[in-house]
Amino acid sequence: MLLEAKQLTQTFGSHVAVNGLNLQIARGSFTALLGPNGAGKSTTMNLLIGLTQPTAGQVIYGDEARIGVVFQSSVLDERLTVGENLQIRARQYRHVAPNKVAEVSTELGLNEFIHQRYGTLSGGQKRRVDIARALLNDPNILFLDEPTTGLDIQTRSAIWKLLQRLQQACQLTIVLTTHYLDEADAADNVYVIDQGKLVATGTATAIKARYAKAVLQLTTRDVEQLRERVTVRPTQCRGNQLTFTVPNSQVALDILTATRDLITTFEFRPGTMDDAFLALTGKEMR
Amino acid sequence: MLAMMKRNLLLYFRNWSGVFFSLMGALISFVLYLVFLKQNMQSSWAHVPHATLLLDTWLIGGTLAITGITTTLTSLSQMVIDREKHITADLILTDAGPLRLQLSYLLSAALIGTLMQLAMFGIMLGYFFLADHLTVTVVQLVNVLGLMVSSSLLATAVNAVIIKGVRTLDSLSKLGAIVGTAAGFLVGTYVPIGILPTFAQTLVKLTPGSYVAALFRQFLMYDWLDVAFRHSPATRPRFEKLMGIRLDWFGLLTQHATYHIIGLIFVGALLLAVGPIGLRQRQQWRRRHES
Repeated sequence: MLLEAKQLTQTFGSHVAVNGLNLQIARGSFTALLGPNGAGKSTTMNLLIGLTQPTAGQVIYGDEARIGVVFQSSVLDERLTVGENLQIRARQYRHVAPNKVAEVSTELGLNEFIHQRYGTLSGGQKRRVDIARALLNDPNILFLDEPTTGLDIQTRSAIWKLLQRLQQACQLTIVLTTHYLDEADAADNVYVIDQGKLVATGTATAIKARYAKAVLQLTTRDVEQLRERVTVRPTQCRGNQLTFTVPNSQVALDILTATRDLITTFEFRPGTMDDAFLALTGKEMR
Repeated sequence: MLAMMKRNLLLYFRNWSGVFFSLMGALISFVLYLVFLKQNMQSSWAHVPHATLLLDTWLIGGTLAITGITTTLTSLSQMVIDREKHITADLILTDAGPLRLQLSYLLSAALIGTLMQLAMFGIMLGYFFLADHLTVTVVQLVNVLGLMVSSSLLATAVNAVIIKGVRTLDSLSKLGAIVGTAAGFLVGTYVPIGILPTFAQTLVKLTPGSYVAALFRQFLMYDWLDVAFRHSPATRPRFEKLMGIRLDWFGLLTQHATYHIIGLIFVGALLLAVGPIGLRQRQQWRRRHES
């Protein structure tokens, strides 16, 4: 294990932000911390990177862990150019090679706007510079706190591809928080956190299989007859349309076979991460 | 640390409106004097020889002290900005460490303070040279340059202590406005200390900048004072006390005593500003090496 958190707890006054969290992050893995707003994701992140000391519990790093962090808000200077920002940060480390800035700039495609002031960049460009900054000290574990929040879909997927490339090419361990659930699909391991507690863990597929129900929607000529033939109760019945939640596609197939002659059209949607997330964390807003 | 200092300098000088507003207190004192006070004061000192040059140099001394205070404060604001925008968190995670980080803020503020005093000195000297044929000797220049460095070191240390309690940019800008406005009065530049009521005089003497202003005035005015009071040396101390050229602590302070006071305040403020961080860092270091 490159990083392990044991019974991690952080309280602010009477408010418990993180409550007995256990995490295990393997070398070279891609971990997503998932949770609604205020779930304790950022607090957990700050504890993992050692910025705050936990009230209880501990964070244990494996040998030679070098940390890189992409913070949720921008930490580079708007009035300085991309190059200046990176050069200045690079010189805050003891063992950064002189050509490191040029290297990460090329790697992340920053050369086009390297002489432009950071404040004038677009959201996606800024994010790339932020990631470049985090890579300056050759980290083997990279933390990203909501790296894709507020970006358009193209930029999001570009950043996402970049991270996966870095993970594979540099054997980088990646830990990120997000509330875009589809992003968690690509992670090796997902931790769903709510109110500071771990509510589910595993691969995205496993979590979906366990917590997300598939939806089967049928349009029929004869509602009454169809209802009689199916043992599962529909969750919704509107006009001649019936909606069932089913645990897996096999059950859906059984229903479809049994009612084949009554169906005009049907729609089957496997459970998504959204469904699992809502099932785990509830539907009310935070 | 040099890289961080470069950053702080770039951020200060690239923000033109920030540079301008950090000079506001000094510019107000300069313009206020030219437009409203100069003539009035000149006529009341008409019987003193070289009255104009004495007043010009008196103003320069006070204005330089204000410049040191307000520009170092603006530069130190970067510390609050970094804290509020979580930039400090990013910097703390580097190899630089909190003590070096703090020192880089202080040193760049001191450098900026010196440079801006130099600029203000150039502007004022240039103006008074053209208007009143004011000149300075090489000795004066060397003394003044040395004092600019001490002045900005002192102002930096004192401001660093004041700024410690400031958490948000909003309260920082309010503090900046108060300091900018009050500095002129507290240093005894807008109004000579001697004509203030006793309580106000005490306030002025409690302000570190007033000792800096006094030294600037001594360096710049003594040559003219020697000439002006050649025939009536007995009245000179009264004038020096009135104009805040020497401050009165159970008798007028000598140049040496004034420098000592500045030194003591500087060391005290520096300990308050940096000491706790240094101690914390040492404790952490010890803990890490014991475990």
